[in-house]
Amino acid sequence: MTQSPPRLTVGVVGAGGIAHPHMAAWRHLGVDVLVYSDEGAEAAATQYGARAVADLDQLLEECDVVDVCTPTFTHHEIVLAAASAGRHVICEKPLSHLREEAVEMIDACAAAGVQLHPGHVVRYFPEYTAAKAVVAAGRIGAPAVLRLTRRGARPQRTWFAESAKSGGILIDQMIHDFDFARWVAGDVVQVYATEVGSAPGPTIGIAVLTHKSGALTHLLGGWGHEEEAFRTTLSIAGAHGLIRHSSLDAESLSWSIPGADPAHGELIPAGPLGSSPFVTELAEFLASCAGGPTPRVTAEDSLAALTMAIAATRSNATGLPVRLEDGAL
Amino acid sequence: MSKLRVGIASFAHVHAAGYATFLRDRADVELVASDPDAATAPPDELRGAELACQLGIRMVPSYEAMFAEGLDAVVVCTESARHREVVEQAAAAGVHVLCEKPLATKLDDAAAMLRACAQAEVILMVAYPVRFHPGYHAMRGAVQRGELGRLLAITGTNNGQAPLNARRWFFDPEMAGGGALMDHTVHLADLLDNLLGVSPTQVYAQVNRVVHAEEVPVETGGLVVMTYADGTVATIDCSWSAPDSYPSWGGLTLTLDGDLGSSRLDAFAENIEVFDDHVGGLRWDAVGVNLDSLMLDEFLACVRAGSAAQPDGAVGYRTLQVVLAAYESASSGQPVTIDEPISQAAR
Repeated sequence: MTQSPPRLTVGVVGAGGIAHPHMAAWRHLGVDVLVYSDEGAEAAATQYGARAVADLDQLLEECDVVDVCTPTFTHHEIVLAAASAGRHVICEKPLSHLREEAVEMIDACAAAGVQLHPGHVVRYFPEYTAAKAVVAAGRIGAPAVLRLTRRGARPQRTWFAESAKSGGILIDQMIHDFDFARWVAGDVVQVYATEVGSAPGPTIGIAVLTHKSGALTHLLGGWGHEEEAFRTTLSIAGAHGLIRHSSLDAESLSWSIPGADPAHGELIPAGPLGSSPFVTELAEFLASCAGGPTPRVTAEDSLAALTMAIAATRSNATGLPVRLEDGAL
Repeated sequence: MSKLRVGIASFAHVHAAGYATFLRDRADVELVASDPDAATAPPDELRGAELACQLGIRMVPSYEAMFAEGLDAVVVCTESARHREVVEQAAAAGVHVLCEKPLATKLDDAAAMLRACAQAEVILMVAYPVRFHPGYHAMRGAVQRGELGRLLAITGTNNGQAPLNARRWFFDPEMAGGGALMDHTVHLADLLDNLLGVSPTQVYAQVNRVVHAEEVPVETGGLVVMTYADGTVATIDCSWSAPDSYPSWGGLTLTLDGDLGSSRLDAFAENIEVFDDHVGGLRWDAVGVNLDSLMLDEFLACVRAGSAAQPDGAVGYRTLQVVLAAYESASSGQPVTIDEPISQAAR
């Protein structure tokens, strides 16, 4: 007789922007969901068939896995509370904007014997997964020059623009591509970066990474005006081939409705139709929490990406490149 | 209208045959060529009398013989390190010059070429054809009218196939002055110089040799970051990263992000897609304007009028400064400050 996997209850903390695709994914996966948030918990619970709880303690008491969807600067406290309650943790990226906090979170989860899964959802977007697989299969030879861009409207919540709370664009947004670059081309030994522009105008971050393998990566992240469509591009040139993808060129459905472009102002990309990278991601994390295999991205990967991103902010501050020794500052 | 007497000095550069064809077909040009170093090229490269015969143009055995014919103008297509010698000869003969890029491989050589042409009062123009792209003109106009606001970030790519099967000297550090960084950075450095009107204050670069690692001794990949006094940052990807199966020999893009708006130029976007089983896949056949012919039109018009021509030797010098700073940075791993007084002297 086959035994169905234990039914896990997920406790979502936060009901803001990123909580929505998470809760939609949990509902899709048929998971029992609790939600706790300073604001918006009841509405989110109604929208996604979840149950709102009154405080964090009750959420930790009643769930098996905590899904931290709060602003970056609150992750540390919540993850430490979850670890001490003995709950597995899924935590949105970046784990923290401060390296010491991220290390402490990883150590606390390890000490408590619980898992910590960082929400680097870009690794679960089919085009990024496919590009990684093409490189891993040797189809384009050794990676030589990577170019990754990620642009969209400036997040409406003001904490994103406050470096002390989010780390700014180099950490909050570009950590996705720091992680992807390292996934594809390996550890990075030198980071040179700059950030230009400030709210309410556009902010653009640019980074050049030198990988241990010799590969080079050019990253550009942009927070633009409120109507700017979200879009990403990737290009990986290898010794024997080239991979390219542009999210705007690869849409199977497009619109032309004067005055009402559905993509404008969208903050969280949808990915290819008929799939949700959030479902793929959270299903992989949940399976791991239930004793399944290690997911494709680990807390150590997240720390490595954060280290690169922090190096980028230091480079921006000094105008000088920052060396990383064995991936550490 | 009398015919202009135009010479082509050497078939070393990959663009020489294209220039020769265009000049040959112009009714107002009498063309002569010389390729005295043809014997130094690998035997499988079509050069010298054989190429001249195929193109149907008249050859003379030496540059001296060519200049002795009383030329009005010369297009210099030698290996980069040999530009100076020919340009100095041309200046001494009072002949206007269009010189392939990079202007030279060393700043001393570039400065000597500028001096020689200034003293002889002949034109020294540098072959930066993208400057003549109608899209670039529209972009520059929008920037000058302030439509994009203050420029924050500029990203340029000039990626293409390494000309391995065409001209091996491109991979000779002595003759070419380096690899992809020398070959491909200058086009975008020229556009940035023209667009911003100032030189960068700082240059950072990293290079690698992953593509064609076994075949060439020079860098084939490179990223350059240029910082300007007002905080604008610009990057150039100069990599020879287009694989053999790429649908075109290369391409150039330039993206501007200002605080009011953005603009993107894809200089080779005007093409038709051809799925050709004979070559095993997709080809992009260009249908846009021929930038080389626009550039040569401008050169010949300036030669006739005796007026200054852009892009001139001074921008050739300044863009070489940027590239040499990039080499220094790639070697040291640290950003390199561009000595502003020197660049201003050449501006």
